This record gives sequence, C-alpha cells and structure tokens, in this order.
Amino acid sequence: MTNSIGEIRNADFLFVIGSNTSEAHPIIAMEMKRAVRRGGTMVVADPRKIWMTTIAEKHLQLNPGSDVWLLNSIAHVICEEGLADEAFIRDNTEGFEQVRETVARYSPEEAEVHTGIPAEDIRWVARKYATTPKAGIYYTLGITEHSHGTDNVYALANLVLMTGHLGKPSAGMNPLRGQNNVQGANDAGATPVFLPGYQRVDDPEAHAKYEKSWGVEFPSEPGLNLNVMMKEVGKSIKGLFVMGEDIVLSEPNCMELEKGLNNSEFMIVQDAFMNETARFADVIFPASVFAEKEGVFTNSERRVQRVRKAVEPPGQAREDWRILIDLANACGAGWTFESAAAVYDEMVKDADKFSGISHARLDAMVSLPKTGLQWPCPTPDHPGTTFLHEEGVLRGKGLFTAVEYRPPAEVPDEDYGLYLSTGRTLYHYNSATQTRRESGLDEKQSEAWIEIHPRDARRRDIKNHDKVRVSTRRGSVEVRALISRQVQPGCIWMPLHFGEARANVVTNDAGDPVTDTAEYKVCAAEVHRIEEGTAPDGLYPGTFYGLDAPV
Amino acid sequence: MIERTEHDVQARAAIKSIDIDGHSVAFSAGETILEAAQRAGVEIPTLCHDPRLEPAGACRTCLVEVEGQNRMVPACKTPAADGAKILTETERVDRHRKTLLALYLTDHPRDREVAERGAPNELLDMADRYGAPRNWGTMESKRDARDTDRNPYIHFNADTCIACARCTRYCEEVEGVSAITLAGRGAETTIATADSLSLLDTTCEMCGGCVDVCPTGAMGEKMPLTRSAKPERELKKVRSTCNFCGVGCQLDLNVDEEAEGGNGRVVKVTSPPPGTTTNDGNLCVKGRFAYDFIHHEERITSPLVRNENGDLVETSWDNALRVAADGLRGVAERHGANALGFVSSSRCTVEENYLVQKLSRAVFKTNNVHQCAAT
Repeated sequence: MTNSIGEIRNADFLFVIGSNTSEAHPIIAMEMKRAVRRGGTMVVADPRKIWMTTIAEKHLQLNPGSDVWLLNSIAHVICEEGLADEAFIRDNTEGFEQVRETVARYSPEEAEVHTGIPAEDIRWVARKYATTPKAGIYYTLGITEHSHGTDNVYALANLVLMTGHLGKPSAGMNPLRGQNNVQGANDAGATPVFLPGYQRVDDPEAHAKYEKSWGVEFPSEPGLNLNVMMKEVGKSIKGLFVMGEDIVLSEPNCMELEKGLNNSEFMIVQDAFMNETARFADVIFPASVFAEKEGVFTNSERRVQRVRKAVEPPGQAREDWRILIDLANACGAGWTFESAAAVYDEMVKDADKFSGISHARLDAMVSLPKTGLQWPCPTPDHPGTTFLHEEGVLRGKGLFTAVEYRPPAEVPDEDYGLYLSTGRTLYHYNSATQTRRESGLDEKQSEAWIEIHPRDARRRDIKNHDKVRVSTRRGSVEVRALISRQVQPGCIWMPLHFGEARANVVTNDAGDPVTDTAEYKVCAAEVHRIEEGTAPDGLYPGTFYGLDAPV
Repeated sequence: MIERTEHDVQARAAIKSIDIDGHSVAFSAGETILEAAQRAGVEIPTLCHDPRLEPAGACRTCLVEVEGQNRMVPACKTPAADGAKILTETERVDRHRKTLLALYLTDHPRDREVAERGAPNELLDMADRYGAPRNWGTMESKRDARDTDRNPYIHFNADTCIACARCTRYCEEVEGVSAITLAGRGAETTIATADSLSLLDTTCEMCGGCVDVCPTGAMGEKMPLTRSAKPERELKKVRSTCNFCGVGCQLDLNVDEEAEGGNGRVVKVTSPPPGTTTNDGNLCVKGRFAYDFIHHEERITSPLVRNENGDLVETSWDNALRVAADGLRGVAERHGANALGFVSSSRCTVEENYLVQKLSRAVFKTNNVHQCAAT
C-alpha cells in the first residue's frame, strides 16, 4: 500500500476493484464503511455482487477479465475531458503521451460492449475519481490473478499517475495483502530475485555486500519463481524444502504438481499440521504456530509489528526459526543466533529500509498510541513512513505504461460454457488448515459449493442444493450448487478453501508473462447435475444475502 | 486585570478553550466536553460511550454541571463551547452518580463471581469507585435472553445487560450489518434480533464487536463460558499480531498459564483499546474466535521420517535433522544446487523468512527460494 489503513476512513472517493473486502479483509472493510458513513463515495468493480456493493454508490459489474477495457476507458475519459493533472504529470512522471495515445482507442461506448458496463457509468466514475482530491484505489487478487494481471496493475497505476492521487493522505494505490506476513516475507528476501530489503541479487554491489557479510560465495543469477518452480518439480527440481505452505492444495493445476512430487527425490515439510503436501514428504519437522514464537510480521501498510510467545509448542514441536538454525547447522553452517531478535538485527544490518527497527524498539512502543513501525525507517530515531512518495515519486519519475486488452487465457466455448472464478470467504482462510479445525467456523461453512445464476441452473436442470460436478479441461470436483444472483448469468463462483473439492484441480495455471501468477480468477468450466440434494445443515454461503438471496 | 491588546484577543479567539474543574483545556471545533476532559486527564465516568461510535447520551453516567445552566448535561454528547466552565466533581454530580449507579444495580448481579464469569464488569468497578449504595432492593431482570440461539460464539446474558446499546450501535455503525437491535420498552428493553432469529440466520458476521464493547459482559464469548475457563481477570494477556490476513490486527492472547501441564493455553482473544492500534480495537470472526487450532489434537508433535516401507514414523530431532541434511546435500551433489527449491512462507515471521533465504543462498548456493506471494 502506498498509504495507510488509518487513512481510509478519511477518503472521499474509494475505488474498490477485485477485492471482496468485507470477507477477505474485514477490518479494512470497517474503515471503508466508516468512510462511506462519513459521506465518502464508494465504487465497487467486481463481476460478482459482494457485500460492499450494498453500500457502494455504483457497482460496475464487469464481465470477467475485461478489467483493462474498463480501466483504459476511465483513463480515456480523464484525458478526453481534460481532467488529468498536467502539472503533476509534467513534474513527476514519464511516458504519459504513449498512454494518452493508447487509451484514445478505448472509448466508453466500446468499453460498454466488452465490459457490460454502461458508458455513462464509466464517464461518471472517471469524473468523480479525477476530481476528488482524496481518492484511493484498493485492490487485491481480483486484479492480479489473471494472465493479464500485470497489465491490470499498470492500468490502475496509470490512473493514479494521471490524476496525481499519489503522495497524499487517503489516496494512492493500495493492494491489500492477503497473508499476515506476505509483505514481510518479501521484505526479508524470500524471493528468487531480491535479497533482503529489495536489493537485487544480480546487482553486483548488493551481491558483493552479502557475500562479504555472510562470508560465503553464492550465485548472482536470480532463481526460479515459485510458479515456475512448481512446474519444474520432478523435472529440474529434485529436492524441495517446504515451510508453512500446503503447495498441493494452493498451487494451480495441482494434479500436475502431484505427478511432479512423485517424480522428485527428496522433500522436507515443516508445518504445524499434516496437510496434503506432507503426504509426499520424506522428513517432517513439527513446527509452531504464531502464538508459540517470537518475531515480527509486516502488514499491508508496511507496518512491522511484534509477534509474541504466549504458550509453549506441544510435544517436541519447535519454533520454526530454531528448526531452521538446527537444519543449517546440521548442514555445517555454524549459525549462532540465540534469539529471533538476533536474527532480525542481522537482517536489518544490511538492509537500510528497516535498519531503524529492532525488537527492543518495537517492545518499547506497546503502550503508545499506534504500535509498530512503518518502513522505510532507516535510523533508530526515524518515526517510520505513513505514506510513500510524499517528497515526489520514489523512483524519480513515475512511469506510465500503456497496456492493451488481452482476453483471458481461456474463455467459455461450446464444451465449457461458463466462466469459473474462485475466491475467499469470511469464515475460512486459504487452505483452511487452521479454520476448518475450528468447530464454530465449520458450523458456519462446512462444505464446498458453487454459486450459479438461476438462468444457467435452469438450463442444466439444476435445483438449489443439488450435488453437481464442476469440470474444466484440467479436472473436476463435486460440490453443492447454490442458486444465486450474486453471480451474473454465464458465471459461476466457488470458494477455494475446501480440500475435498480443491478449486485448483480445475483452475488454470496459465501464468501472467511477468509474474507467472496463475489465472485463478477466470477459466472456462461446465456444470452437470449429479443428484438431488437436500437443504444442508449449516451452510451459510456468504455474508451477503441481499434481496436476491437464494430461496 | 491585565489589559489585552488587539493581537491577544485575536490569538485567544483562534485558540478556543474550556475550563474543566479549574483546568483550562484547548479544544478544536466539534469536540465534546468528554473528549476535552479525557485529553486533560480529567476522569468522567461513562458506560455507553465508545470513541468509535456516535455519542448516544444513553447511560447518563457522564452528566456534569455547566456553570450558569440549571440542568446537568451529558459530557459525551455536549459540544465544548468557548469559555464554558465545567464542573465534574460537585456534590450534585456525586449525588447523581450514586443514585444512578444504585438504580442500575437493582436488577444487576452484585456478586463478582456471578457478574464477572466472562469479562470484567465496568458497572461494578464504577459502583465501587463512586461509593454507590447497594441496598436499594432488588428486582428480577425482565429482559429476554434468547437462550436458544445456537450460534457458536456469542452468548447474551440478559441479567447483566444495562441496555447501554454499545453493542447494537457498534453492529450498525462500525460493522454495518445491524444484526442486533434494542427491542421492548422500559425494564423489558433487551438486545434482540429480528424475529428472535439465531445470529446464524441474520446478517451477523460474527465479528464479536458486541462482545468487545459490552461494559458488563452481557455480550459474552460462548467458548470460555461453556468450557468453564477462568474469568478474564485471572488470565495473562500477551499482545501479538493476528496470523490471518494482511491487515495486521493487534490482539491480546488471553492465556491460562497453568493449563496444558504448565505450557499455557490460549482460552480467549480480546482486542486492545480503540485508538491504540491499526485495527482500532476491531477484530473479525477469525481474529477473535479462531484460536482452537493452536491446541488442536491434530498438531504434529514429533519429527517424522519415511522408513523403508514408505511409512512416516516418529523419530528423534537429531535423526530427523541428519536425514534432512543428507537428503538435501544428496540432491545437490547428484544434480547441482539448482535442483533444490526452497518454499518459504508468508504465514511465518520475517525472521524465519530471512533464515530460509539465507539457508538457500548461503548454505546451498541457490536462489531458488520463494513463497506464495507469487500467487
């Protein structure tokens, strides 16, 4: 996030796209609700009706995968009607002319044909966004989990740059992070391209610094991205160490991955629970959950916050950081860290963005208003950074990137006539290793389902609660059908949390060309009725019922 | 009297101030007497107030005197006015507080064992502090308790409800779902759902904000109650960061230190006070109620290795680490370092992610390290 969670409540215009905020980020949704209650205007762009649409001024119910058409046509209106912030563009950006030329071909009228959104609504949103000073964009995986995910992000960034909604409170470009520490994992350098603090591993200076610091030589060519690595398992990748992720459940096209794991030679799994991946492991280390260890998580707004040990791990389970030190030393590394705090101190020593942060400093902040420190925080007396780009764009000039519409990698056809999209629900979390072990949460949502529009259900002779088979070119799963107008005709939607109906058996692993992020949000599918179902005990499909709720 | 220059007068107009018990307190437009008093460190008791909510003026505990006005005013709802003189500790205010609290206590359990089975009880604390009489007779609570609600998390104890409406206002103003509402009149006023439905069948999202804001524990958490966990005041609170989504909510793990053979058990999660953290004291259903996984019977409690029959069997740490080290080194020797892949985790700490990438790079000489941020 360029801006902070606490600023959301003061936003006057909120453009929420590809984010089911009230289910995936409930506390950020509360901040948005506060902004709307205060008088702010919210626009939600999502193929599906979600709770947030009930308080939105407008719901842009776009066709799946037509995001670039929508965003470029908004940019088109901003340019055409002279609403761009020419001074900001001149002083802070480069590459605008090319974007102006490109979006000139994306008129709202033609966008209406591709997105299904009335041209007048597109114009209205463009005017409102461009002319409201405190206007923020909020997005999540509905933007990025596409074969054109990077294009979507560029198209959003173009809107931010051409309106100058950057480096100001309650504005900016705000991806809401999905995992507790997805920011921190990247900050710490657990990526094939970056060392800690986003220093490129192929940058000779950074690479030399770390070789000196660690006293070893290591390669400077970037490694494999996770999605590529998963496709290489059993091929060029013969040995895996997997900590705290159920890759078999969460990686796309998992049938291929299972085959690869059977062909690989050695795998270590370090986890608190047995999971689908652990079935393939040669060694399993019993690990800890967050309540059993010291450390820090870094949230969406770059805020580094303490995790504290409240209870002891069960049996012989150990804190993950201790296991990693033990493993390194079993391999002859000779690591001498005695605490998580000491590991953190080593990390920040060579990474300036965090070097003002330490466990000791964070612990001293518990009782102050606001806890934690937001990086960049280079020195022990630096207060941290609430929003980025205040003193001008960080990289020097904000770079516009013109993008053209590309259709999703797979669209409905005669054999597979429906768009399938997948997502999260409020009551479960990712592969649900934790949440499906909660009796209360399981009471609320105990089994997998799809939402299907009454029109599509009628054509397939599917009644509410029937058992159905969802098939794609990759595989099929059996789930319960819920007749719902939350989805639009031609679209079905399915939650990703349920191991017995793994969404990733059916999702497409076609990746974005830059990030390799798979297209979890769009693929072609078909639904067949298997048998009649009765009303389930304890299936509360979502937080949004609305007037069109299934009967 | 000091002669004021024109400049002084202007400066004084720009900085508005209010006098509270003799302290001059500057305030900004729109602030209430209560907010100004809190900033000045003057304590005014409240039961229905919460900084996240619109002032309600419902509980009447915050009444104060304003010099020159006959009637006392609710500090939570009355805007600060320039030059006003506020009195919070007069004999009349004190008499009002004692009377009001004594009335609240007539249909409220006075025994802490009963009244504090779950959360601490602010009403009893306040009655102690202001010396409210406790001998004003008793009457049965007439509130409907909805005992049959089968929802898994939220329990309503009608006996300790004081109808301050913090819970219903939170549900409407902060969570925005209006699942619960005040119903009935007079002494029968209670916290209800439409048609007395179970919360499961309403718009409720089980955020538990009603439990968090309740001053008397009337809105309580079911699990600690049904498991006879120790009351909150006997638990150790450990401030930590939620392990679910990327918002980074701060929460307090409430630990029974004697449980689990002295290893400690998390028996409840509560949120820090509003205004002190990014989450402003709010939590969602997962953050507040999903803590049973910590002590779940399916936790892996021993290292496991695969034996010659292909079965996973328990082993010692030393052996597991040796097999692991040999396995990784074997792959590297046979196929080169880049035949290894290290999958780190965005669920684990920053320190652990640092160690995985260092293990990958410094020990095994490969940059094949990543985590699910790619997806």
